[in-house]
Order: sequence, then structure tokens, then C-alpha cells
Amino acid sequence: MIKKKIEILSPAGSLDCIQAAVQAGADAVYFGVEQLNMRARSTHSFKINDMKEVSTLCKANGIKTYLTLNTEIYDHDMQLMRGILKEVLKNNIDAVIASDFAVISYCSDLNIPLHISTQANVCNLESVRLYSKYADVVVLARELTLSQIKQITSEIKRQSILGVSGELMKVEVFVHGSLCMAISGKCYLSLHTHNASANRGACFQNCRHLYKVINCETNEELSIDNKYIMSSKDLCTIDILDQIAHSGVDILKIEGRTKGADYIYSVTKCYKEALQSIDEGTFSYDKIENWKTELAKVYNRGFWEGHYLGQMTGQWTSHYGSIATEKKIYIGKGSNYFSKMKVGEFIVEAGKINVFDTIMVIGPICGVQRLQMLKLVVNGVEASEATKGDKVTFPFATKISANDKLYKIFKNRDV
Amino acid sequence: MFKIIFHRNNCIGCGTCYELQPEFWRMSNRDGKASLVNACKKRCVFIRSVGISVLPQMKDVVHSCPVNIIKIQ
Repeated sequence: MIKKKIEILSPAGSLDCIQAAVQAGADAVYFGVEQLNMRARSTHSFKINDMKEVSTLCKANGIKTYLTLNTEIYDHDMQLMRGILKEVLKNNIDAVIASDFAVISYCSDLNIPLHISTQANVCNLESVRLYSKYADVVVLARELTLSQIKQITSEIKRQSILGVSGELMKVEVFVHGSLCMAISGKCYLSLHTHNASANRGACFQNCRHLYKVINCETNEELSIDNKYIMSSKDLCTIDILDQIAHSGVDILKIEGRTKGADYIYSVTKCYKEALQSIDEGTFSYDKIENWKTELAKVYNRGFWEGHYLGQMTGQWTSHYGSIATEKKIYIGKGSNYFSKMKVGEFIVEAGKINVFDTIMVIGPICGVQRLQMLKLVVNGVEASEATKGDKVTFPFATKISANDKLYKIFKNRDV
Repeated sequence: MFKIIFHRNNCIGCGTCYELQPEFWRMSNRDGKASLVNACKKRCVFIRSVGISVLPQMKDVVHSCPVNIIKIQ
């Protein structure tokens, strides 16, 4: 049994992702707006005016919302930063995640609850004590081991280190998602090669490519088995989640604001179930294997447990991109919904779909719905296949619109 | 003459264009993004015609933009 309530914090890059997180049982979501967040390059980016909709949606579903404002902040960003924080207050966003002292200071002035970002590289109790004057939560550096985390959480309790709210300082750790080879994400590779600072959310992901190490004097190539020498495998802690849950942490963070709603749903669901199972005392090897199979279906570069168990070096990927065991391809979008019959109509815009195919519908209202096409009705007639231009209808519980996308799921044969 | 086409919405406010060519660019204190001085706005894009003498310098700016939102025509 876990002694205290542990929160699952899911990433949200779009409204679809928020719905997916809600469906999967997340306790909170974090999101960024405008260019002052670590996913500024992302194609799905919330704007300052979207804050109200995000807040309303989350409040209606009883989950908390945290806004990331954790890039390096320049002088010309101050007005935007202040504008964003005023909107945070107006829209009742539960907290801001920051690392720059300008943001920390302004949040403190406005009495906005603050979480110290992993970008601040908090590795010890004294840093937690310093930040406790401004914040309620610290996201610990990803390089810490579980015993170091335990030491910090137990000392927070023993020394009664209180945050701004008057409650004990809370500790958040990353449990799943992409890792970066740089300490706490402080990477300058992308800035050197593309003038695109990772610390302004514009990372070009240079580390994810193949590299050779060549001696320029002799032209000899250093023999390296794996040429992905900088691309870390993804963090997956589901095997050791019981140890993490008992280490005294309060919030488990899932990485992936640029990932799709299907990823958010699967990962959040697995970790939520795992946490419940630890609480009930039913956490078992068989369950872990099932969760790992589910996690492997969505975007991943292979898994390792990060630094929690004290591994000396990181583990590197052997492939470029994802090695997810399943792929999804876009088929079409929603066109009509027959509410009385609860039937959805979709227009096929690409590829084809066959009867018995596994499909997924992703949208801002329905979230993520996965089902098998047991009966395929094409243009009003039962058929075995639908191609571009066809209208397919099938029973569907929630209302659909043109914002709902239909995907076909199939096994990834490349891995 | 050539045209500078600037897709301002996607600017991440890194300030490189301003550093390289302060006579053409400003950093807006309002929203933290770069602004192209004396440009005309057409929908979401800002356009300004300039003389050929600044072309080499402008090419540097184009290549230095981390989000590739400055084009030359």
C-alpha cells in the first residue's frame, strides 16, 4: 500500500491529448503556450488565448493544469511572460513550471503556485530548501538515483521543509518518455549546428542521428558498435514503479508534449493501472509484462530504467526513430454523426480500410477510441473494403466532427 | 530589388536576426517575437522590398533563423 496519494502528470500538446489523458486517468496535465516553453518548435502549439479552453476542459474533468514556462527568458520576453502569467491567474491554472528566476520572481509576486522545472537541475536537499521559499514542488534532476531521491524526500519530511503553501515540499520525478543525453536537458548541440537553442524549445535533435568518430590527424575511425552514440533509449520505469512509489515522491511525470493522443492514452493508462496495482498489493511480473507490451506499441526508441538504479552509463538506441510495435496510418476524417443510432460517418481520404481491421479514432471530444471494424458499411452498403472517397459508417459512442481523425492500426514489421 | 518574406507567427524570439542586422529587425517587447522594420503585412506574413546591396547580409540572417521563417524572393 502506498502511504500517500501519488499524482500522474501527463503531457498535453493538443486538446486531443488532454481528452486522452482524462480518459486514461491522469490526475493533472502540463502544457505550454506561445514560444516560451520547451516545445516551441512543435507544430501543435497552444496560444495564450487557448488557456481558457484548456482550463475549462480540465476543470470539467476534475484534473489539474500546470503551465510550462521553463525556457531561458530574454529581456524582450518579459512582457509576454508577464502577460502569460496574468492569464494563468485569470484562468485558474493550478501552477506554473519554471526554471528562470525572472519567472520564479514574478510568480512569487503574483502568488502563483510554482513548480521548479527539471531544467533547474535540482540534485540535493539544499537546493530544495532554497526553492521552497518560492515553490511547492521541485522536479528532481533525471540523473538522480532512487536512493538519492529517497534521501531527499525523507529529509524534507524530517526537517519539515515547507513550500509556499505551508505544506511539505513535494517531489516530482520523470517516469516515462524520451531522455536527452545532456544533463537536465542543458544541451547546446542544436545551437551549434542550427543556431537553434534547445533551451528555447527549438531542439533539432542532432543526438538522434548516426555518428562516426574519426581521428582527423590519422583519418582512423574509432570502432563503435553502435553509431547512435548520443541517442538515449527512452525512460520506462514500470518495472521499478513500486520502488519509485515507495521512495516518497508525490508526482510521476510522463514526458511527451509532442507525442500523439494515442501515446498519451496508452502510457498514462499503464502507469495509472500500475500505481493502483501497487496500492492494492497486486503488482506482479505478469502485469508488468502486459504493461510493457502495451507501452511498446506506441512511440519509443527502446526502453531502459534511466539512472534510478544507478547504472554507470546510459543506454543508446540502435535504430533511428521509433521502434513501436504498432503503427497507425491516417485514413480519413469525421463527416457526420447520427445521434439517434449512435453511428459515426467518416470520409476515407487516404489508403484503404478492410473489414476486421483495427482502427483508432482520435479527436478533441472522443479522445482516443480503439475498436475493431467487425462490420464495414461503405456508402450505405455492407462491404469488405473502403478506399479513397468512400464514406464509411460504424457504431460510435461519442459525437464526431471534422476534427476527429480515423487511423488504421497495424503491426510494425520493421522492428 | 528583392523581397524579404517573414512568417512572424512561428518566430520563437531567439533574437538572432536582430543581432545580425539591427537596422532591419527589432525584438518586440509586446510579444517577444522579432519584427521586420517597415514591412507590409499580408495575412500572417510580413513583406519588405530591399536593395540588392544587403542581399549577402540578409542571406546570413535567412540561414541563421532556427525556425526557417525568413525567406528571400
